[in-house]
Amino acid sequence: MTAVGGATGMRTFRVYRYKRGEPGWRFDLFDVPVTSRTTLLEALRWIQLHLDRTLAIRHSCLHASCGTCGVQVNGREALACVTGVDDLGGTITVEPLANIPVLTDLVVDMREFVERFPEEIPSIRAVASSPETDTPDGIDGYERFEDCIECGLCLSACPVSATSDGYVGPAALAAAQRLLEEPRGTDPDRILDWADDPLGAWRCHAAFECTAACPSNVAPAERIMALRGALAGRRGGA
Amino acid sequence: MSDTVPGADRRAERGPVLRKGVGIPASGWFDPRGRALGGFAFSANRVTGLGLVFYLYLHLGVLSLLLRGERSWDDFIRLATSWAFLSLDVVLILGILYHGLNGIRVALVGSGLVADRQRALWWSLGVFGTIALVAAALHIYGSR
Amino acid sequence: MMTPSAPRAARDAPRVLIVGGGGTGGALAHDLTLRGLRVTLVERGEFTSGTTGRHHGLLHSGARYAVADQDSAIECIQENAILRRICPGSFEENDGLFVALTDEDMAYYDDFVRGCKGCGIPIQELTTDEALRLEPLLNPETRAAVRVPDATMDAMRMPMRFFATAKHHGARLFNYMEVLGLVTADGSIVGATVRDHVTGSEGEIRADVVVNATGPWSETIARMAGVDVPIVPSPGVMLAVRGRLCNMVLNRMHRSGDGDIIVPQRALSIVGTSSWTVDDPDDLDVPEDHVQRMWEEGARLVPAVAGAEFRAAWSAARPLIGSRAADSGRELSRTFETIDHADDGVGGFVTLTGGKATTLRGMAELCGDVICRKIGIDRESRTRTFVTLPHTAFYADADRRIA
Repeated sequence: MTAVGGATGMRTFRVYRYKRGEPGWRFDLFDVPVTSRTTLLEALRWIQLHLDRTLAIRHSCLHASCGTCGVQVNGREALACVTGVDDLGGTITVEPLANIPVLTDLVVDMREFVERFPEEIPSIRAVASSPETDTPDGIDGYERFEDCIECGLCLSACPVSATSDGYVGPAALAAAQRLLEEPRGTDPDRILDWADDPLGAWRCHAAFECTAACPSNVAPAERIMALRGALAGRRGGA
Repeated sequence: MSDTVPGADRRAERGPVLRKGVGIPASGWFDPRGRALGGFAFSANRVTGLGLVFYLYLHLGVLSLLLRGERSWDDFIRLATSWAFLSLDVVLILGILYHGLNGIRVALVGSGLVADRQRALWWSLGVFGTIALVAAALHIYGSR
Repeated sequence: MMTPSAPRAARDAPRVLIVGGGGTGGALAHDLTLRGLRVTLVERGEFTSGTTGRHHGLLHSGARYAVADQDSAIECIQENAILRRICPGSFEENDGLFVALTDEDMAYYDDFVRGCKGCGIPIQELTTDEALRLEPLLNPETRAAVRVPDATMDAMRMPMRFFATAKHHGARLFNYMEVLGLVTADGSIVGATVRDHVTGSEGEIRADVVVNATGPWSETIARMAGVDVPIVPSPGVMLAVRGRLCNMVLNRMHRSGDGDIIVPQRALSIVGTSSWTVDDPDDLDVPEDHVQRMWEEGARLVPAVAGAEFRAAWSAARPLIGSRAADSGRELSRTFETIDHADDGVGGFVTLTGGKATTLRGMAELCGDVICRKIGIDRESRTRTFVTLPHTAFYADADRRIA
């Protein structure tokens, strides 16, 4: 949004900067014209376009569906594209996500995030059917994309991940639990074996920060607990 | 390939990792920004746990006074019945109640028995704990 | 369908530098890599961060163009079927409906049905009752409905499969690497100067052919080579609301207009879109009156839109081929074009532009044919049947299978 034309004020942004050619990291200060509707991502893109072309930011869909624009803003995980600048107080500090290696500036390298997942990552789930609706001929049931948008906010918020890089983390465990719900050809025992690990489901200490940070209703903490219930039941019964 | 792309070798390196807190490992557990109820419960569990471990050593140290004879023990008892000390006892009870009741909450939630009711559990056990704390405080101060 | 393996390129194979990391660039990287060329791709931001990631996610049946732009319609329905086979699991495959609400819509009905059949788009004519049983939240005053093979694609993750597959076959793909200028020698483009935003360093990348795949930014890159491309950046606004208000894609049965589509996408409903033209595709406005139109037009298709919770409103610029005299962009064609700038006197430089998200693979095949003819290579495209790797494979080592 070109805020300049209808700008209702200026806000100061304190942005984390890191380039691999230079020593260390720093914070840069930028003053940006904003309106009541400006999002954090729009403000960052304005900085990139008008003040500093070397600022690296990550985005794609601009509507909380792709999960690429996750950042920490004033110490809290958020998707920049749906965070209103008006809702943020004072000088706005923007940093990359925690617990995932930084590639440059506000961009983290999602390789380590993705590598924690079990071999199968569910992408499609069935839409719950109801007796009042039909589906078109030839389609047995409606399907939809999974809620999880692989944004990494949960991993950034998790206090256990802050002190343990080996812990697979909430997103991976939530994905495993969803595979138990809807296997679609996966072997449930293999998923349970994968989760039954000191650095798997048992490493979680019930802080529930992942669920609080998730922008997409995945409820990873509740899913981890359900997964532990399934694991405990398997041990008891087996 | 013979041609190199600028920066290609440095891209493969593992970059810095941001952690919450003040640079010391685990200090992020006590960073209140952006925390919800579950996060505070987690932090408080660790604080009370450390506090109870500290108290255990303190208690053993106090008991060792018995080895030094009746006089030093009587001195200690005089200190232990002062208002300030009794108030610290109430704080100790708070720590025990919080750590124990939250521990029950974590056990119920973490075994999958009550997987999705963590907030409700926190508040209901909190009410029970507060009643128990008030009763204990009345008893402690009343006995003086 | 098994994913066959592909041999890595020979060390002396021709080098292609692709500028632009949207769906177009990614699909071309995949196509050329399978033909044995050495591919390097540079994108100034995150992959798909230009126009590709932002669209509402429609996998086109082509029905929207079946009357007025039949070339586009045929391209769409063919690619629709191919993409479902080579990117399994990347679509919500629930089909779509074209819905007639007014007399004007009903007047369009016969042309619409005839157009679809003429373009090979399989349709099913439905009664109002049947349509309402499929989509209970549809406007109850629906007069008629036609089922079409629309679907919802994951606008970022589906194209990322092309990047992942190309990378696993040896392509070098660099995000956060911005082209500053092109390098010429003897009237030909021989490479580009780039700035790496990860390290801050600058340098040159050499290639035998440089491809301009920058979508609405095509003119910016073309000017670096001293040529023109007839691209008009044409933005449109989209509105996302919370709640899955439909399972099938819902379209208004008329010629293209504002707010005439609702695309379901995980737990959101996307209402789109509008159209205007700009000179600079960076820094797009999100005009409030356009957003308001989305609310209004969306509510005509599904009344529940009016009470839904706002999630986001944003703009994306289409790369439309045509003269800059166009007013709204809607009168321009949605087909794509490969332009070999040897015709403009500049060697080693090709522009691939226009098109839609649905036609990414087809665009890449035709451009790959042009490039191979240009450099004297006799290899055919293999992308029509080559099942792509999952998007997560982009981040994994080649020998670790993820999903």
